[in-house]
Amino acid sequence: MRPFAYERATDVRSAVATLSERPDAVYLGGGTNLVDLMRLGVVSPEMLVDVTRVVDATIEESAGGGLLIGAGVRNGDLTADPLVRGRYPVLAQAVLSGASGQIRNMATVGGNLLQRTRCSYFQDTSKPCNKRRPGSGCPAREGDHRNLAILGHSSSCVATHPSDMAVALAALGAVVHVEGRHGPRTVPMPGLHRLPGDEPDRDTVLEPGDLITAVELPELPFATRSRYRKVRDRASFAFAVVSVAAALDVADGVVRDCRIALGGVAPVPWRAELAESALRGAAATAAEFGRAADIELAQARPLRDNGFKVPLARNVLVGVLTDLAEAR
Amino acid sequence: MDVQLSVNQDQHPITVDTRETLLDTLREQLDLTGAKKGCDHGQCGACTVLVDGRRVKSCLALTVTMDDREITTVEGLADGDTPHPLQAGFIEHDAFQCGYCTPGQLCSSVGMLAEFAAGWPSVVTPDVSAAPHLDEGEIRERMSGNLCRCGAYVNIVAAIGQAGR
Amino acid sequence: MTDIQVTSPVRDGVGASAPRPDGTLKVTGEFAYASDLWMDGMLHGATLRSPHPRARILSVDLTGALKLPGVEAVLTHEDVPGAKLYGVDHADQPVLAIDQVRYQGEPIAVVAADHPETARRACALIRVVYEVLEPLTDPRRAALDPSYEKVHAGGNVVRHQPIRVGSVFEADVVVTGEYEVGMQDQAFLGPESGLAVPAEDGGVDLYVATQWLHVDQDQIAPCLGLPPEKVRLTLAGVGGAFGAREDLSMQIHACLLALHTGKPVRIVYGREESFFGHVHRHPALMRYEHGATRDGRLVYVKGEIILDGGAYASSTPAVVGNAASLGVGPYSVPNISLDAYGVYTNNPPCGAMRGFGAVQACFGYESQLDRLAEACGLDPVEVRIRNAISEGSRIATGQIVDMPAPLTSMLEQVRDLPLPEGVSTDLRDLPGGVANSTHGEGIVRGVGYGIGIKNICYSEGFDDFSTARVRLEVIGEEAAVLVHTAAAEVGQGLVTLKAQIARTELGVPNVTIAPADTQVGSAGSSSASRQSYVTGGAVKTACEAVRERLLELAAKKLSHDGLALSGGKIVSVSGIVVASVAEVLGDDVIEETREYRHRATAPMDQLTGQGDAHTQFAFCVHRAVVDVDVELGLVKVVELAAVQDVGKILNPIALEGQIHGGTAQGLGLALMEEIQVAGGLIRNPSFTDYLIPTILDMPPMRLEILENPDPHAPYGLRGAGEPPTLSSTPAIVAAVRAATGKSLMRIPVRPEHITGT
Repeated sequence: MRPFAYERATDVRSAVATLSERPDAVYLGGGTNLVDLMRLGVVSPEMLVDVTRVVDATIEESAGGGLLIGAGVRNGDLTADPLVRGRYPVLAQAVLSGASGQIRNMATVGGNLLQRTRCSYFQDTSKPCNKRRPGSGCPAREGDHRNLAILGHSSSCVATHPSDMAVALAALGAVVHVEGRHGPRTVPMPGLHRLPGDEPDRDTVLEPGDLITAVELPELPFATRSRYRKVRDRASFAFAVVSVAAALDVADGVVRDCRIALGGVAPVPWRAELAESALRGAAATAAEFGRAADIELAQARPLRDNGFKVPLARNVLVGVLTDLAEAR
Repeated sequence: MDVQLSVNQDQHPITVDTRETLLDTLREQLDLTGAKKGCDHGQCGACTVLVDGRRVKSCLALTVTMDDREITTVEGLADGDTPHPLQAGFIEHDAFQCGYCTPGQLCSSVGMLAEFAAGWPSVVTPDVSAAPHLDEGEIRERMSGNLCRCGAYVNIVAAIGQAGR
Repeated sequence: MTDIQVTSPVRDGVGASAPRPDGTLKVTGEFAYASDLWMDGMLHGATLRSPHPRARILSVDLTGALKLPGVEAVLTHEDVPGAKLYGVDHADQPVLAIDQVRYQGEPIAVVAADHPETARRACALIRVVYEVLEPLTDPRRAALDPSYEKVHAGGNVVRHQPIRVGSVFEADVVVTGEYEVGMQDQAFLGPESGLAVPAEDGGVDLYVATQWLHVDQDQIAPCLGLPPEKVRLTLAGVGGAFGAREDLSMQIHACLLALHTGKPVRIVYGREESFFGHVHRHPALMRYEHGATRDGRLVYVKGEIILDGGAYASSTPAVVGNAASLGVGPYSVPNISLDAYGVYTNNPPCGAMRGFGAVQACFGYESQLDRLAEACGLDPVEVRIRNAISEGSRIATGQIVDMPAPLTSMLEQVRDLPLPEGVSTDLRDLPGGVANSTHGEGIVRGVGYGIGIKNICYSEGFDDFSTARVRLEVIGEEAAVLVHTAAAEVGQGLVTLKAQIARTELGVPNVTIAPADTQVGSAGSSSASRQSYVTGGAVKTACEAVRERLLELAAKKLSHDGLALSGGKIVSVSGIVVASVAEVLGDDVIEETREYRHRATAPMDQLTGQGDAHTQFAFCVHRAVVDVDVELGLVKVVELAAVQDVGKILNPIALEGQIHGGTAQGLGLALMEEIQVAGGLIRNPSFTDYLIPTILDMPPMRLEILENPDPHAPYGLRGAGEPPTLSSTPAIVAAVRAATGKSLMRIPVRPEHITGT
């Protein structure tokens, strides 16, 4: 690990000011991903600004009828919160299905959103990687990519986004509150994360100095009927091969509304907007769910060794929606 | 940097490099080698300690972030000469073989039982919005961040189940 | 030898679930593992490793590393004072690479510095110029194609062992299959570590986590150019082994650096380095053809097993011997034509891992038995019963099984154990848990069986022995026993067992286990499930010798004939206590050292594989019950049941732990564990990408442990650690096949193999 300076922020504004001036500085939240990446040499900031004691760590009801979750809330606390569990079970389930109890106690909501990919080439500094070193190439396209993207990838990057939480937030249409050089603003999800295109080193639309201060969940009554399902290579403590976050509003056997996002299949938490629009007004049947999944996955461009994710994603999606349709 | 570290209720004014993790500080500076370095990437759980009563992976925690926190390691679980019930349970149920993961398993299970007592759900809780019931499935899921390569899992479940009752 | 039997029960003797003497230290964090060792002024070692699986080394420039402040030594092969090569079986591996590298991760130089980070940075400053060559990574060509380039000058076949029995290779029913086993890692949680301390006599003291101190010593000393007595080893706490510590890792490097700098040097590998720093389980390519009568009785087996040994030989010869001799499993087969090959490639070196050779073959032959059952319309248990060996049968090598082999009853027993309740409606019980499961109808239950046969102890004529020194004296007015062996406690509970044996044999409750070191004779390796047998036998024999001398002493001091030792007391013929052990001993000390050998074994014939190669066989039968989400490819192992014959239970709770653990590692191989190698490069050297079972993956177990004594073994015991690793894998895969109808020819099974896409 390269030497770095450590500074504990005293307030959000000064933290933002510091980072705005120092491109070699980064924010430190729970550190579960950043410290690991620094140890691997993937990132080598010269300064860490610890924001864990200044970023809000509370969960409260928002003016719009939703929830305002401070970016400093630890993932463990997020899953313990009665409002989250009662109104947005998909979010609690998504976070609970990620990492381990210990890591969830450390990781913050803001940091979770900004996790870097677990693509093994990104993690291995002896290998080229356009995300880590722009222009160096992407060995994953021809190499080991079984667990990489089938959607939204580009010729320069086929990585997947690793977060479970972000998939649920993308489905729920959360709004990310950001404090930046020019003051506060909001970024809706999906939209925080960006597709790699020819700039895969930029995971998000955030600008230098931007600090995530909160995540706002919109009022979404039917999210009480929501679920996260994750397929992985072992029963627990593993990243998603494919995951689905969904909420379903059904009346008289007809889908009134729905929210769907896919994880483990794209460089971003993938909001399945095509599937959603195909389902609104459709019968809440497995056949219709399958049709909607097919429409969404028609965009898939699997690589040599990850074609299995296409039908797998379809099966997970149909399974989740069917369960939700049958749930009381 | 100077840090005031409180470990097992002992105060340690120490000077650390900003790069130092809590795990390295405990092991190299404070001679508390109970917490183990199994992977140094947060993937095995052998380094688990309690920070303000919550279980965390000390290999991913920078020591400079830890002042004014209360840290408990496996060396601090016993009450004087009386072993913690989980320590006694691990011996009674032979819940380890090589023992390398054991300090992490113990700290993790202490933290896990506290989370459970506080009503936290897990991903196997049938209704995530309701209070969980501590059965074997819950113990297994909640302890899945602590790998045991000897495969003493069956006995770990038994030891924690007994202590959790 | 005395014929006195100790009949009075002694607390925590043989047969009791005695607590581990190191248990309290392990739960308090005080137990000192190799990585916990520390000495004032010690240096930290680091290793520069090749990034290429095959390359010529054109030049090595140490200048930058040597200039770095804090660096005290940078050594290459030129600094190795003695033999340049070492190896556990034969010396083919350079201590540090000489002009070429044969696998990714091969050590080229070692550095000692005042801080681990400094040592690592120094490694990065060493400039190596390589001529990168195309790696030789095809084990089948290495085995069978003489035109394939050679990894070593002597050729690519490390060992080819045929088995030739009979001449009838036609049958009414023929089933064939090609199977593949991925490369499994031992993945012990305590990475390789040790501390080398230079001694005043010009020698070195090494504190290290290993499986066999003396074989380490035998390899280290020649490379250091020292006589063995100047290379003294002491066992440090071992954080798991499973075969991976049978070969040297950092031992010679740390000693070289310590002798070169005159300072203690500690080397501790990180997790990633550990994946490159030890041998793995041989991946296998297997072809089987089983011919049988219509009622499922085997007529012949043809087979080919190719084991990829990677760049250096390690234990490959013994792995091939196991795969060949046990390659048709515990079945009576009148005609066999089987060839097992172990080969060199530029893939990662492979060697010992729990059950080696037998594990790979077991997946093949048990999968074949299931195919045969299907072809004959038989139940999988029934087809096994019709072919299983029993006491008096011959195995593939012609060796007669001259000990109980109750496979038929074991199979019936495991089959008849109660099954767990049907597919659960509780979502938490379904594959992937509540958040993951498909609703009920997507879940299919499957049941599968597997049997394994494992040779216990070293085979094929190896002089396999252990040494124990037992000392009896009075300490604080009480009789006390000190047991000293060089046997490595790796978590299996051998220290517990040695104390139990001493208590039983001498009736003295107060037993201390001395640290294992090379100040006593070799104990052999903590592998091949052999330590209870061989070191247990040595401790028992040494205790018997001590007992004999104690009684001689008692006869002399008490002027009494016909004395015996019972319940820790000296008793007369009529059973009356005449003295305590302490009273007889007084200031005398009785110390005896004994070597114990199991009965001799013979090499296998090079052309036919025939010979009495093994000293003992052990058997385990598994039944696996799985629920498979066929749409998502998720497998939940609902229950694993095992029946194992251990001859004699020495410590019930520790034994159960061995069966649990062996079963868990077999589960890992079945469902998730594989070092992925592409072009000789390891793609997943981390616990994020190399997955081992979590506590959630491991189901409850139902165990039935049998005690049919082996008349040749101490107490009638059988080695127990490996057999469950063999049979759990095929049982689980068979259960998944039963649930899905998929053929599943390769392990580990992944979700996409189940969803079939």
